Amino acid sequence: MELTDGDLIARVLVEDDQHAFGELVRRHQSAVRGLLRQLTRTDLALADDLAQDTFVRAYKHIRSFRGEARFSTWLYRIAYNCFREDARRRKELVGIDEEQLQAEADPQTVDPGLRHDLMHALSLLPLRERSAVLLCCQNGLSHDEAARVLNIPLGTVKTNVLRGREKLKRMLAAWGPD
Amino acid sequence: MDEKNREDWLDRQLREAAPYIDDDGFTARVLQKLPVARPQRQSLRAVILIGTTLLACALAYVLSDGGRFLAVEIVRLTALPTLWLLVLAVGSGILVMAGGLVAAISKTREVQS
Repeated sequence: MELTDGDLIARVLVEDDQHAFGELVRRHQSAVRGLLRQLTRTDLALADDLAQDTFVRAYKHIRSFRGEARFSTWLYRIAYNCFREDARRRKELVGIDEEQLQAEADPQTVDPGLRHDLMHALSLLPLRERSAVLLCCQNGLSHDEAARVLNIPLGTVKTNVLRGREKLKRMLAAWGPD
Repeated sequence: MDEKNREDWLDRQLREAAPYIDDDGFTARVLQKLPVARPQRQSLRAVILIGTTLLACALAYVLSDGGRFLAVEIVRLTALPTLWLLVLAVGSGILVMAGGLVAAISKTREVQS
């Protein structure tokens, strides 16, 4: 029988079992790295460095995980904090303004291929909207869970998801269901 | 095209655009970075606890005039009626068991949460 996240966390807490923590890393690495790749606008090396920091920080502070949210939600929150701290250090936490958004959304500059266009469109969203869309629409978190991860009010999350979606739909107007 | 369909389509595309990322040594690199200082801290804690206990025992022995009160209390106990002794033994057993249960339950809750 496969152990649940809760079982593995218990082993880490009681026996300081690093193999159990390794299994948790294996289970969640793809989602955490994927989220960070999107947040860092596909800077793979930086995203992986931040993902490593995320898991090391999670291990050090695992006693503060109270099980009020899913383990993945708790990890997303740490990952987002790592990203913010790094961005603050690099002074890159400035959202892209609407003018730049319009310029980059010019259909002539967009390469063919829906996936590429989608990733490109995502990278053009301001950070607050990109984070909310990624967590809620891509990673399946509820608005409430995303609010905890991003540490912002629930209403703000809903607004950011709505705005982000609208912009994505506008930028991907050429694609869509027939 | 219906607005709801458009949103469902967008959400589906977003989910599908996030492919599984192969571990490719990532977990091993994280495990190498984990701190290994915990056992040392635990052994330090054990040394402090045992040291304090031994010191307290020595202090109690000296202050109680060589532990003479123990001998006095044992003599008193032997003078008690058998029924009283039985009640005392059972009561002490239940008390220790209850303490152990409370500790086990609180630890289980802590681990589960």
